[in-house]
Amino acid sequence: MVVSFFSGNESVSEFSQGQLVWITIVGGFALLLGVASITRVSFDHIKQRKKDWPYKVVLLVFLAVSGLGGIFEGTEQGTVYDWLFQNMNAPMMSTMFSLLAFYIASAAYRAFRARTLEATILLITATVVMLGRVPMGSYIYEYLPQITDWIMNYPNLSVQRGIIIGAALGAASMSLRIILGIERTYLGRS
Amino acid sequence: MVSLSVILPLILTVSLPISISPESQRLFDRVEAIPDGSTILLTFDYYPSTLAETEPMSVAALRHCWRKDLKIVTLSTVGLGGPNIADRVMATLAEEFDKNYGIDYVNLGYKANYQAVLLGLGQSIRSIYPTDYYGTPLDSLPMMTDFDTYDGFDFIYIISDNGIVDYWVGLVNARYGAEMGAGVTAVMAPKFYAYVRADQLIGLLGGMKGAAEYEYLVEAEGMATSGMVAQSMVHMTIIAFIIIGNISYFATRRRNVS
Amino acid sequence: MSADFVQFIELSIAGFLTLCIFSFLYKDNPFYRLAEHIYAGLSAGYYVGLIWNSVIVQQLWIPITRNGEFMLIIPGILGLLMFTRLSQNLSFVSRVSIAFVMGNTAGISIMQQLHGYVLPQVADTMAGLAVGTDNWYSLAGAWVIFIGVISTLIYFYFSKEHKGVLGVTARVGIVFIMISFGAHFGYTVMGRVSLLIGRMQFLMRDWLHLIN
Repeated sequence: MVVSFFSGNESVSEFSQGQLVWITIVGGFALLLGVASITRVSFDHIKQRKKDWPYKVVLLVFLAVSGLGGIFEGTEQGTVYDWLFQNMNAPMMSTMFSLLAFYIASAAYRAFRARTLEATILLITATVVMLGRVPMGSYIYEYLPQITDWIMNYPNLSVQRGIIIGAALGAASMSLRIILGIERTYLGRS
Repeated sequence: MVSLSVILPLILTVSLPISISPESQRLFDRVEAIPDGSTILLTFDYYPSTLAETEPMSVAALRHCWRKDLKIVTLSTVGLGGPNIADRVMATLAEEFDKNYGIDYVNLGYKANYQAVLLGLGQSIRSIYPTDYYGTPLDSLPMMTDFDTYDGFDFIYIISDNGIVDYWVGLVNARYGAEMGAGVTAVMAPKFYAYVRADQLIGLLGGMKGAAEYEYLVEAEGMATSGMVAQSMVHMTIIAFIIIGNISYFATRRRNVS
Repeated sequence: MSADFVQFIELSIAGFLTLCIFSFLYKDNPFYRLAEHIYAGLSAGYYVGLIWNSVIVQQLWIPITRNGEFMLIIPGILGLLMFTRLSQNLSFVSRVSIAFVMGNTAGISIMQQLHGYVLPQVADTMAGLAVGTDNWYSLAGAWVIFIGVISTLIYFYFSKEHKGVLGVTARVGIVFIMISFGAHFGYTVMGRVSLLIGRMQFLMRDWLHLIN
């Protein structure tokens, strides 16, 4: 992959392209491995009649219906697979994440304290950004949106840039360690 | 309190004017400058969990593109839901704009391991996607016959709720020079200002506010715009919670000290 | 059955499941657990259908059987070897597949990180300082960014104690970082609230028709 980045040779490009196709295929099986794992864990749970085992039956039933529907009927609009996704899976997934709004409000009252100078800076900035990014902000102070833009485009940008550079250097060195065989934790315990 | 702050503005259907951020304006202007009839890549790189923020962006982007008769190739690097969301949104708007599958838009679907997908598309789309999402060979689709790499796209419009934008920038923009812009959730947005400044991204939409801005620019107000007043109310509520919480904290601390 | 009635049933199922999830705000209860397990099952089943069609049929079966691309049998075998991970005795075999993917990914990643992130970001940071003095605002902004980037990187450099010049720069970095984290927090609140607004719009407009 590294050689193909620098080399203009057609054979090298073709070989690396072939490798990329192979990775997408192997990656697909890796996702199925997760499904196999959850199926096995659920079966064990039911077999041993552990606590809440009827819920695992429900899990396996819906897994089977959705999976077999996708295999035999296809995955496009109008199929059982798509119907289950649009009317059951998607609403539930959206709702799970929307619960966080309530917890943020609760945390805002209980935990966000201006105990130190740094915390005060954080809270003031958060307040300015929260007001500047909604229409009501410009009614409170007409330049609030512009101040928010400045915060996002200068101090915030510089910190994010520093983090991007630092993280990229770290990731590059980790990749080098993997290539050289120094890092083998991804293989699991020997 | 939070629920009331959301429900009341929705019931009262109040609206407030929306200010446009420079990043949203840049993205709009760049798409507006694409010659009519060109082909772009529009991605549905988001999970159903963030539909409230990302679907309005997709809809507004689609309206903008189809108003200019742009041909759209779509794909998703998100396995759980991306292809089906793309399927639904594209089909719904295709009916409104009288667009035909295979001629005006194509859904490539999903392939595993997004790093390999993004890099592989730069050499050959057909090697990664031999068929579209529905199993039709790409050579059978009229709009896919003329190109096989990113060179066939005038612009890449990414709608995402996760760090895939990093990979689009780091792999596709850096290696193949493809121009791109992104609409992302509010949680992800602060990071990508660095890419906008470095011109690795042409423009950026951030969260529901970004979606509302784009809806305003495209003159098709939708779900995001209608949620802005509720957004304002909840923000005020949370700020009030922070202030009240801190007042009680400092009052308690002073009482304990004295 | 009319289309409107079918749509009402679909919306009611979605609405019921939405309320089941929301019931967790009160406390963990059988409705929430039922919805949670349905969700887990559907998500897993979704992947089965997706990978079957996108990978096994479109990327393996059709190319091998119709186009004679027999080399694709190799990644197919590598993929199947992944499943040996489920067996205690044979799990070592899956390392072949994992190593194949990780090796390629590491190679892609090195160039991605350096060429895609480090070089463009550093270049833009320095290029901003080269702006002429005609545009004082841009130059001042570029210096703010430069100082912010350097002080942030120094703050996260833990190989040397933060004393003297390093200590002062790290303190400046903390101020920048707190401003950025504050902005992040503001955006995070915005994001989470948007998701709640989306669900309320669904419940009140699409399902119960209480709003237009």
